[in-house]
Amino acid sequence: MMKNIRWYLPIIFGLIILAAWVGLKEAFGIRNFILPGPDKIIRAAITERETLIHGALVTMTGASLGFVAAAVGGFLMSLVMGLSVSFRAGLYPYILILQMMPVVIFAPVIVIWLGPGLPAIVLITFLICFFPIVANTTQGLISVDRNMVDLFRMINANRLQEMRKLRIPFAMPYFLTGLRIAGSIAMIGGTTADLFAGDSAGGIGYIVLVYNGTLQVPELWAAGFTACLCGFIFVTVVLALNWLILRKWHDSIVKSDL
Amino acid sequence: MVSPSPPVPLVRISGLSKRYGRGTVILEDINLEVTPGEFVSLIGPSGCGKSTLLKLIASLSPVSSGTLLVDGMAPEHARQETAFIFQEATLLPWRTVNQNIQLPLEVLPMTQAKREAVCNRMRKLVGLDHVPDHYPRQLSGGMKMRVSIARALTVAPKILLLDEPFGALDEMTRDRMNEELLAVRSELKFTAFFVTHSVAEAAFLSTRIVILSANPGRVYRDVPVPFPYPRTVETRESPEFQRFTTEISRSLRAVIPVGA
Repeated sequence: MMKNIRWYLPIIFGLIILAAWVGLKEAFGIRNFILPGPDKIIRAAITERETLIHGALVTMTGASLGFVAAAVGGFLMSLVMGLSVSFRAGLYPYILILQMMPVVIFAPVIVIWLGPGLPAIVLITFLICFFPIVANTTQGLISVDRNMVDLFRMINANRLQEMRKLRIPFAMPYFLTGLRIAGSIAMIGGTTADLFAGDSAGGIGYIVLVYNGTLQVPELWAAGFTACLCGFIFVTVVLALNWLILRKWHDSIVKSDL
Repeated sequence: MVSPSPPVPLVRISGLSKRYGRGTVILEDINLEVTPGEFVSLIGPSGCGKSTLLKLIASLSPVSSGTLLVDGMAPEHARQETAFIFQEATLLPWRTVNQNIQLPLEVLPMTQAKREAVCNRMRKLVGLDHVPDHYPRQLSGGMKMRVSIARALTVAPKILLLDEPFGALDEMTRDRMNEELLAVRSELKFTAFFVTHSVAEAAFLSTRIVILSANPGRVYRDVPVPFPYPRTVETRESPEFQRFTTEISRSLRAVIPVGA
């Protein structure tokens, strides 16, 4: 299936980037607290592995819960907006405002409400992930082909049947696009949330704050790459879900057999 | 054939007009009576409201004024009697052939076994016995339209409304679909309203051709088609058929506005 993608190209480019990194550092004598070498970062990652893995798990937990809550909540909210034009027109501006409100402003407020800890982290991630899911899914629910709607009227389907048998399956690719976007920013949400609402549980964002305070720069970088890896895991899970649901029928997955 | 009393019309249209909102009048003063078993083709220039007339009969759109009775009822109460076949096959891409065909039965109180039995019968009837579990993307245009027809027939409609169903198909496929539609009709005995742009198609299929003029749509001519069923390739190739289609084309040219 992946025959045409040259798997070795990213590796070659990765090596080039690494070489440039090390080369520049040596050539200009850049000191470690400005830009540590890859070897330093790897060593830091190994010595700090327990803290990092623990932090990753803590943040992933918060981010996952927030993401799942946003997926479920966003889906239900879309159903409400898909069912009624009035709800859509009435609610959409506020959902938009929610999205426009910068998280860095929202986050401290949420910490005031809930105190630092998991609930606050979940809520902050939820707020970040909610909008792309709602926006995409609603778009899908209302983009159904006019003739298909007529077909359902002709067979005397009620609104619930139309929703279940037509609009929801039709909106699935849109919902999954929303999930993909949300999945790629869930870790950003979780890490940002850590910065404001992290507690002694020690999420990855909280660890970053500590390393920053003690000027442990290679460790800081190692934490950054750990968060990056968590983000990849997130996106991979969502892509797998996407494939599972759409593999049988959607053009984005299957090429036409004819 | 001698019948003791004139047949009761299945569809009765009198003084019917249609306009969308306060917009232009689409159909004006349409009068038409169609008896059971008739196959009526509606033909005319674009904008003559032939598709709109189908939508009125299907109750997908309300009548503005005049009378329209389907099997003696207002169209919105007669939806059980009608089935609609759209220009595009309008299949649900996430459903297989079988699942698509069964869709109209799923909203009826019917057991799974009964649904499958009806579905299998209709699938065979349209010649799709070999692809029950294919998805629409795996089918050609003609096959998709067959699924669409099978789906419409599951509810055993008294009236089949077809809105240019074969317009997107190549000529060979279209001719074959025409022959098969007649074969299905001789078995299931539905009454049909068929919108088309093709004079030959209308002449081959119909018992009657209604030519509409445009702006607003009116009945210009109502012509019985003289050829007996079953109709075959020979019908299509006969000189009588050629003469008939030439005459219909001439009428059609008269109602197509200059410069269109």
